Amino acid sequence: MDEVLLVQSLQAGYDKLIVLNGVDLKVARGEWLALLGPNASGKTTLLHCVVGLLAPSAGSISICGHGLRDEAKAAKGALGFGCAPESLPNLLTGRQCLEIYAAAKGLAAIGGEVLALAEEFAFSPMLDRFVGSYSLGTKQKLAVLLALLGEPALVVLDEAFNGLDPASALVLKRHLRSRVSARNCGVLLATHALDVVERYSDRASLLLNGRIAREWSSEELAALRATPGEGLEVAMAAACAGSQGA
Amino acid sequence: MPRWMAAHPHLSSRLLAWRNAYRYRPVRTLLAAILVFVALAVIAMLPPTGPILGWLGRNWAIAFVIAASIFTLSTARRRQHASIMTATSWLASLPAGSPPWMQVVSDMAGRLAGFVAFIVLMRLAGVIDGADFSRLAVATVAGALVGVLAGWRLPRADIGAPGFHSAIVRRTRARWASRPSLSPLGNWPAAQGRIFSRPRRMAPMLIIAMMAIPSGLHSAPGQVALAVAGVCMALFSVISLTAAAVRVAFGAARWLAPTTLGRWRFTVALGWRVELTQILALAVLLLLTGSIYPRGTVAVGVPLVALYLCASLVVVTAAAFEACRRAGLGACGRGS
Repeated sequence: MDEVLLVQSLQAGYDKLIVLNGVDLKVARGEWLALLGPNASGKTTLLHCVVGLLAPSAGSISICGHGLRDEAKAAKGALGFGCAPESLPNLLTGRQCLEIYAAAKGLAAIGGEVLALAEEFAFSPMLDRFVGSYSLGTKQKLAVLLALLGEPALVVLDEAFNGLDPASALVLKRHLRSRVSARNCGVLLATHALDVVERYSDRASLLLNGRIAREWSSEELAALRATPGEGLEVAMAAACAGSQGA
Repeated sequence: MPRWMAAHPHLSSRLLAWRNAYRYRPVRTLLAAILVFVALAVIAMLPPTGPILGWLGRNWAIAFVIAASIFTLSTARRRQHASIMTATSWLASLPAGSPPWMQVVSDMAGRLAGFVAFIVLMRLAGVIDGADFSRLAVATVAGALVGVLAGWRLPRADIGAPGFHSAIVRRTRARWASRPSLSPLGNWPAAQGRIFSRPRRMAPMLIIAMMAIPSGLHSAPGQVALAVAGVCMALFSVISLTAAAVRVAFGAARWLAPTTLGRWRFTVALGWRVELTQILALAVLLLLTGSIYPRGTVAVGVPLVALYLCASLVVVTAAAFEACRRAGLGACGRGS
């Protein structure tokens, strides 16, 4: 299988605090992997390592076969990251953000697909306003549009459905699913929205105590969907409880 | 926690924040206190301090008006802030809350204590004599009380505008989508510079500059005073731009870290508008001063401006490079 992300024995943390301790992860092209875990389990830390915002203390990360340390430019060229809405620049307009990000990625033009998605998000009227005047949901839309610029092979999103209205959330779910299904890209989504995981993702991994504690294959997710009263929520709670007991 | 503190969570949270600042960062807090003390000592030793304070003591009505004006504006601004915070803070839903007036009064009392402590320190240092000290202290306290009452009764302005309202939305490039460019990145530090140099921040510096101009019988002509004010405003704006570029560099590098942008392109895109604006502003300033004092401008002004522009370029470039290194932008790979 064509891997767009390969994480091996990853260790990372902040100062003396170890957050990730031997994480192994794979995302294939045409696959949507959901990253689950309780609060402070290290999901955002893992994503920050994957996109190069945080230097891991050990382990390796490669994107589309390019090591993030040794071939940073090639690795980042295949990456699209939906940053946290609060980290967007308040003093630029949405249009300026899109333009700068596209230029920084070396794109010749902003793809029609992203502009069409902006229309579907009803984001176009906000394009010429300062990001500082946006609501949380509007900032989230901009972060997602930035992540999808340039047809990246790996899309990394952190709680991308936070603050989105139901209609926009549905648009995004369908858009990501269609991208993944067409084998255009792989998606790594950290989320607490279990309905998204059950209905749209291909696999799910549970991050606990700095490691991947449990994985659900697409067949297992389908089985959970089909069993009334035994959804992913119950399975995840059991996995968390089992880990605490161990 | 004492009962009175528990009954006023806004005040107690602020007090605890101060205490925690010392507990968690004792060295930094002590260093800040020492710096304030040193600054006060330097002010006390400056030659104009004694004459200015003495003059204010003798002309107590002016001291009264200055104190009243400062406290009127501070109270009006603080009242508005307190009203917003009472409705929006994390303590807003608590049954026990401090009314806005209590927050304003406690804040203004702290500021007045600071003013009085400064005058007392100057008296203890022998900078000001006893009679002038008494008049100045009474005028300051009376002015502050009147100012607080006046500020409280001022009609409320619109809800405080966040900083980005001071900036200007630039015209969109026609080919933004078909041929994206990094050039709008230069708008970010320019907008931040406008916020740094907005009137609220510039006013205190202007007051200090204007007070330094000789007055009375041997006063400077009005046009000189105006020229000094104009030069101060221009310099403040120019320095604000450099500071803005340094600050923005770190946020921009972190935002753009997941892209393939190189360090040099990032630095040029970030700094070009700042440097260009500074060159234009300082060139105009040199032309204006040159038309009045040509010899002094060429001998002193031109080298100073050239030196500042070089320093600004170096500082902005160094900040951009350091920001790239910290964020992992450009060739700085991060995966082990």
